Amino acid sequence: MKLELGYIQINDIQFSKECKVENGTLYVDPDAVKAFMYEDDDVKDWVKSFKFDIAKPGENVRITPVKDVIEPRVKVEGPGGVFPGVISKVDTVGSGKTHVLRGMAVVTAGKIVGFQEGIIDMTGPGAAYTPFSKLNNFVVVAEPKEGYENHKHEYEHAVRIAGLRAATFIGELGRAVAPDETAEFETLGIREGLEKYPNLPRVAYVHMLQSQGLLHDTYVYGVDAKRSLTTIINPTETMDGAILSGNCVSACDKNTTYHHQNNPVVAELFAAHGKTLNYVCNIITNENVYLADKQRSSDWTAKLCRLLDLDGAIVSQEGFGNPDTDLIMNTKKIEQQGVKTTIITDEYAGQDGKSQSLADADPLADAVVTGGNANEVIVLPKMDKVIGMLDYVDVIAGGHAGSLREDGSIEAEIQIITGATNEMGFNCMSAR
Amino acid sequence: MVKEIERAGIPVVHMCTVTPISMTVGANRIVPTIAIPHPLGNPALTLEEEKNIRRKLVSRALEALTTEVEDQTIFEV
Repeated sequence: MKLELGYIQINDIQFSKECKVENGTLYVDPDAVKAFMYEDDDVKDWVKSFKFDIAKPGENVRITPVKDVIEPRVKVEGPGGVFPGVISKVDTVGSGKTHVLRGMAVVTAGKIVGFQEGIIDMTGPGAAYTPFSKLNNFVVVAEPKEGYENHKHEYEHAVRIAGLRAATFIGELGRAVAPDETAEFETLGIREGLEKYPNLPRVAYVHMLQSQGLLHDTYVYGVDAKRSLTTIINPTETMDGAILSGNCVSACDKNTTYHHQNNPVVAELFAAHGKTLNYVCNIITNENVYLADKQRSSDWTAKLCRLLDLDGAIVSQEGFGNPDTDLIMNTKKIEQQGVKTTIITDEYAGQDGKSQSLADADPLADAVVTGGNANEVIVLPKMDKVIGMLDYVDVIAGGHAGSLREDGSIEAEIQIITGATNEMGFNCMSAR
Repeated sequence: MVKEIERAGIPVVHMCTVTPISMTVGANRIVPTIAIPHPLGNPALTLEEEKNIRRKLVSRALEALTTEVEDQTIFEV
């Protein structure tokens, strides 16, 4: 399966009555986006109003509470459309050509769970911790209808669909635009790969998906990941939006839809493919809340690794706490099949960094890459402008009573920053 | 907490869903429970069924508490 991505660089976003992409600027009419979002019945049923704003790199702006970040893309050749099974009909994506509006994102914000949404600062010390401070963000702030408190699942669904529809509308504006740059990604069949690269180690990416339920969910071709068994997916399918975030969890280590579309593990494995290794495929597996599910899914992951005759697997986690057990069960069982593993996780080692980093451990998990310590404390200065609301800063995961200080600054753990300790290794945090 | 209470000489039964973590942190008597968001209940059941399952879990935990163990032990329900 071969996919060509055509990157259209977006350096600026302007509100305009005319919607188009021209010379690196996205001109967009918020009313047109709103009308497109409200074409969906669930959005109509649950979202009272939308407010729109633009946040650019370096601006004195704070966006919170952030739900999801999505990169606008459009399928210009080949089967299916972006976000299959949710926005486009179910059809296998990941081949043909897709245009990407690079350098921008749609950010959905507003109250859902409140304490489980995040912060994006466009400047200052917080900006260094989130990749989204470097993008031109088209921000959609959703306001729920009365009585949503007892229907948070329906409301989350409506906001998720609204964000994806906004990204689809904007992505469509790039259909006829000539890309600034193109790149090709190809995954071979099992036998083809063996014949072409007989001497290279066979490596797969074990991609763990948050699926604890109660608004901690991920969707694959529209299927709720907690209701699925471990399975195989072509890496290019994820580039067309086959995996979507429905997560309202700790901001620092949830994978937004943008992370899934731009998975750095996939990018690095493709870069090494045919040179130092043979990138076989992605294995997606869930992180459920029943022990039997954890056992079944990790058994299945190990079974697929063996069946694919892998030499190695990169395992990335999402979230923390009990998913640490899914991570360790996967790693241990894969290693017991004779397949070497490296895991990517993050740490909750306490504010002083002295506590045990993961809730679970095993001697077989002996190659670890960390996204950083989520408990590290940071002070975020007051920003001139807030897109969204500061109502949840004191209760956000990683915050505490008094986090929002009288002078408008915030003292909290980096856990509150969207993408700060991402477990795909999206960030560039390092230590000496 | 389990380890600190035991250090004070009082035996403890750790009732939890993710028993591998309980094993890793060193609990001695472990009773597996329903699910992480609802360890001692199950919203999918009727009240009557739920009461039965709770009684079963607590009885098993009391049994575990009075059982001598040589090593970390999971008391399946």
